[in-house]
Amino acid sequence: MDTKTLINEAKARFNHNSAKAYLKDKHDSKFIVADQGGLWRANIETINFLSYSTDEHVILIDNFDNPVKVERTSLLTKLSDIYRNVMEEWHNEWINLENKR
Amino acid sequence: MSKGALLFAFNSPKFNYYTMAVATAKRINHFLNLPVTIVTDNASLPTHNSYTFDNVIITEADKTNTRDWGLWYNKGRYRAFELSPYDETLLLDTDYMVNSNKLLTTFELPTDFCCHNKTSFLMHPNLPQEVLSIHSFDTLWATVINFKKTIRAKNIFDCLEMTQNNFQHYGNIHGFVSVTYRNDYGLTLATRMANGHTTAIEDYIPWNLLHVGNNTKVHRNNDDEFNTEYTVMFDHWNRGKIRKEYITVKDTDFHMMMKDNFMELISE
Repeated sequence: MDTKTLINEAKARFNHNSAKAYLKDKHDSKFIVADQGGLWRANIETINFLSYSTDEHVILIDNFDNPVKVERTSLLTKLSDIYRNVMEEWHNEWINLENKR
Repeated sequence: MSKGALLFAFNSPKFNYYTMAVATAKRINHFLNLPVTIVTDNASLPTHNSYTFDNVIITEADKTNTRDWGLWYNKGRYRAFELSPYDETLLLDTDYMVNSNKLLTTFELPTDFCCHNKTSFLMHPNLPQEVLSIHSFDTLWATVINFKKTIRAKNIFDCLEMTQNNFQHYGNIHGFVSVTYRNDYGLTLATRMANGHTTAIEDYIPWNLLHVGNNTKVHRNNDDEFNTEYTVMFDHWNRGKIRKEYITVKDTDFHMMMKDNFMELISE
């Protein structure tokens, strides 16, 4: 039996809240990246700091609470790319989810 | 530096863990592009081999553990450090459904040992984290472990052996039921001991382990061998009645607690 038939026959209801929580879990993990000896989360706060700084090297506290000296532009590029790609993917899946309402 | 995955699989009267390991190994090869070594016993070896592991390590299964559904041969996981042929090892439960390359990130983490300390349950988004007991620690999970061959990692596995061998003693101290040995509990205590009775944030994989638990059943959305789309059905009990609920998941790894359901998913 295919899953569409299964859903119909069981009169199953799509659980929007569980699906939303699942999407958050799925994509949260994709923001994590190891680079230049530290572990980073591609979030707005870190990206903003790296964008506004003008130094070639900056020292940041990584996800493991260690101060790590990094080459700023390299990390900025990496985190920005990850942030953009993951948010794009998350948003697309979110749109699909909303259409199921 | 060699990298690979390690699976422990000892068949019990109820479940064929070797078959589970073969299915999981194929998915590890496909999604992670890693070789897989299996640790098993002679009794679990199939008469007809459908898959060739990178290495097959034959050992004696410790058959002294039981749980609610029967015999459970999960002891001896501490031997992973000694038995792994790899410099960097991904140690997985055989009922972990690999659907992406996410676990490759664990090799990049700046640490020599890591496991999950946080979990989520599909269809139960707000469940609290499991604890050893209300007077003790949050549970770590032995479902996914990544370790390098370092002295610190060896210390953790040595401590895991000690906790397994003295599980009742630790159960008395920490107030948990010790009739059934659980690697999760043993690991929780072992990492603390190896870290000087404290915690090290580097030991934790920085995302949640996704469980599929009770009243939840997973269905494949198609019959491809490396299918990554599933419909997850949940029996929502309300005032003595069941209401079926579902979501769909895609390209997401998860740990199947219900072994029967896992066997259905991997059956051809």
